[in-house]
Amino acid sequence: MSFLVGAALAVALLVVLPLVAHFLRRGRAAELPFPPAALVKATQTSARRERKLEDRALFSLRALAVATLAVLGATPLVRCSRLSLARGAGGSLAVALVFDDSLSMRATPHGKSSRFERARDAALHLLDSTRAGDSISIVLAGTPARVALAATTDLSLARRTLKALTPSDRATDLSSALALARSSFASGAERQRRLVVLSDYAAAAPPPGDPPPWLPLPDLAEKLPDCGIAAADRRGTRVSATLACTGADAARGRTLALVSGKKPLAKLALEPRAGVQSVTLPATGAPPPPAPLELRLDGEDAIEEDDSAAVAPDTRGMRVSVLADETESGAATGGAPLVEQVISALERDVTLRPLTVVPDQASDLAADALVVLDDPAGLGPEARGALTTFVEHGGMTAALLGPRAQARRIGATLEPFAFGAVRWEQPSKARGADVASLGWLGAEAKSLADVRPSGRALLDVGHTTGARVTATWTDGAPLLVERELGRGLVTTVTLPSSVSVSDFALRPAFVALLDHWLDAARRRRGLTTSVAGTSWSFGADRPVVTGPEGPLRLVETPDRGRIATPVVRGSYRLTSERGEEIRTVGIEPEEITLEPTPPPPGATVAASAPSGQLLDASAEVAYALLALLGLEVLLRFRRVGTHRRAR
Amino acid sequence: MNNRFDSALDWGALAPLRLRARGAAEGLWAGPHRSLRRGAGVEFAGYREYSPGDDLRFLDRHALMRHGVRVVREFETDTDRSVRLVFDASASMGFSGTRAPGAKLAFAAVVGAALGWVALRGGDRVSLDWLGEGGGAALPWGSGMPAFERLVHVLETAEARGSVAPERLKSLVTRLGRSSPAGSITVFFSDFLDLPPGALDEIAALAAYRRSVVAVQVLAPDELDLPFSGPVRLRALESDLVVDTDAPRSRADYQAALARLSATWRDGLVARGARFLRSSTLEEPGAVVRRVLESLAGAGA
Repeated sequence: MSFLVGAALAVALLVVLPLVAHFLRRGRAAELPFPPAALVKATQTSARRERKLEDRALFSLRALAVATLAVLGATPLVRCSRLSLARGAGGSLAVALVFDDSLSMRATPHGKSSRFERARDAALHLLDSTRAGDSISIVLAGTPARVALAATTDLSLARRTLKALTPSDRATDLSSALALARSSFASGAERQRRLVVLSDYAAAAPPPGDPPPWLPLPDLAEKLPDCGIAAADRRGTRVSATLACTGADAARGRTLALVSGKKPLAKLALEPRAGVQSVTLPATGAPPPPAPLELRLDGEDAIEEDDSAAVAPDTRGMRVSVLADETESGAATGGAPLVEQVISALERDVTLRPLTVVPDQASDLAADALVVLDDPAGLGPEARGALTTFVEHGGMTAALLGPRAQARRIGATLEPFAFGAVRWEQPSKARGADVASLGWLGAEAKSLADVRPSGRALLDVGHTTGARVTATWTDGAPLLVERELGRGLVTTVTLPSSVSVSDFALRPAFVALLDHWLDAARRRRGLTTSVAGTSWSFGADRPVVTGPEGPLRLVETPDRGRIATPVVRGSYRLTSERGEEIRTVGIEPEEITLEPTPPPPGATVAASAPSGQLLDASAEVAYALLALLGLEVLLRFRRVGTHRRAR
Repeated sequence: MNNRFDSALDWGALAPLRLRARGAAEGLWAGPHRSLRRGAGVEFAGYREYSPGDDLRFLDRHALMRHGVRVVREFETDTDRSVRLVFDASASMGFSGTRAPGAKLAFAAVVGAALGWVALRGGDRVSLDWLGEGGGAALPWGSGMPAFERLVHVLETAEARGSVAPERLKSLVTRLGRSSPAGSITVFFSDFLDLPPGALDEIAALAAYRRSVVAVQVLAPDELDLPFSGPVRLRALESDLVVDTDAPRSRADYQAALARLSATWRDGLVARGARFLRSSTLEEPGAVVRRVLESLAGAGA
């Protein structure tokens, strides 16, 4: 207790003043002139007794008022189990509040409120213990970690921000959140820094840093059983699902059911084991897409929200357009061009559309996910515009450059695949591809180690902004070049599929390359599933996104155009000029399987911020004092009225 | 309630005195008695200092020319019914209480002035004297309307303060005894609460020599019934006495003590041939005047 607090409390000694006044007043009533007073018999005992009863209430009130005044002078004084910030030697604080709004914070222990609600209540209590001049910043630890409130001294704004927080199905990114919170201290002029973490620590262990975190609610890390459906998608006549469980007990005796509306279609018992499970259920009898299907998990656990999930519609049904000359790009055995044959072999559900020319209208490519041009002879302005628009809106295009690249017609260029001069080298000096540069392609890349084409295209990559060489020949010439364009991707290969040039198209690496393109195209163009917290970029588009909790707000960003970030799992309907699209948002399995692992006591500052802090109750005490004074005034009025009636 | 301890008199509803006094005396007569006679057969009673308003026929011009002193000659007859009004102007007479129309002295002044009006209208003389430190100038015997005007004027400027000193009472009674002719009427207005010891004997002595003495005890209604409730602190006006009491509990004892005090005065005065009346300031002044006149008539005046 400081000297000032002690001195303020010493004011309480003045409580004897009303007592002294009470004793001085005791036995004395109002004095009245009365000439025959000598004839009146003194009856002092009775008079004192009645006054004593009346004055006792007044005395109690005044003594209480003095004591309250002393407490008011000494606040913050009250020790309370409510959370509050340690203030040390006084002065203002810089508080960074890391608030976990991930899925695991939805966990609700039996008979208690959820982790999220407890954390928010604690944050509000902590905010109550701040004073004018303290700065506070709020960082949210749900993936991606983000700043909800930059450091500010507007405590009411911080309170509103906290109250507006809602739980989400995001994963946890505690490390980034702590880094963001620590960075918020850099601009603060305050001496005392408090890094408060309100999280269950169900995430990868964050690296240590300064200042160390304070975990005011260690019981948030209590381990709770949970099984959840991370993702589910429809694949033809089957539905595959990814489930995650914290432990065998959480999964034991539980059943996964596929339902359409209220009609059950299939059931499957879960294996009683911890971790991620991939299961497949028959969707026999299910209505054809786009009718919604849902997976439900029976039983109870800590997080009810992840016990059901919408089944994503079939994502394999995408269209690929191929421009190839059958005479040059075909196999000796006949049939479709090699590119088409390989794609058909890789994906049964891909719709192939052979092109004779590149369309002049972007709308003609709107339904495509991938456009492959095999040995194109240049593109006219309209075709270039249509293809560029297609790519910028999330499409992917690949060009296999061949001999025609050099013999372009007037006005035609190879943009957006190549800028500047493209030279066809024949005979080629290529002596195989650099396998090391093709490591990303997998084991099949080795098959290109000894490819010796009769010719190859030579690109001047330096003229192409943003171009990235992803594979080279052994002499360093580019073999594969990629370039991001808008939301899409442009890939250029310096070899055609024609067997007259090389056996490139007959090697496993070619199949792997096309498989890679299909995957990339599905992700970019046909990405209908994602996890909560992943933003969708729409560039200049302005689709209406409607999710389980209503319309999503589109946010303008300087680098990615308009984006929307779904934070709750479920189906989202995107409606734009190009039509309607269904996207499904799931959850990160690790968000369920990772057990809470709070940092060891040595890595926190629990000692400097103990519970039961001094609580500033000035406002409450002041109100109590005001009430006491009002009560005394009322009592005195009542007393005066009584005396007047008596006389 | 008159809570003031100063000497200003609370006239209240008893003002203006002149009209209230005449109203109180309305229809009242002094009764069948011989009025003051002057001339043959009239016995010279002595000289006294001239007062403005005296009948100039009785101014002794010889004394004026010889000594430069203005004195008037006084006469008396057996049938003289001169009325001497004596008012207690001590502090206790300034008390009015919660229900009275005015102070006790104001009430007494109305009653006294009404008596003076009745007497003067019947041709009798009236004089005025004071007990206590308050009051105003003493008025010598006078008659006619000018005497009434002087009486009213002095009463209106009266104050109630201090107490009645024993010496002052003794000297006053001595003077009254010497200057009151046989057959005269002396009316005392007082509350008889704080008079010094021996006052009863002094006043009763005036009733000798065929002189009539009427003591009118004027009390405020609060003094009659002690109406307070709860604990009160009562302070006497002519002493430092302070009494803490529970009014409801001490009321009966107080009223008994007051009755004993009044009885003492009544018995003491009646035994000497005087009369004692107790009045409340709540009464109509005219009723009190009537009671005074009735008591005088009952005595065979």
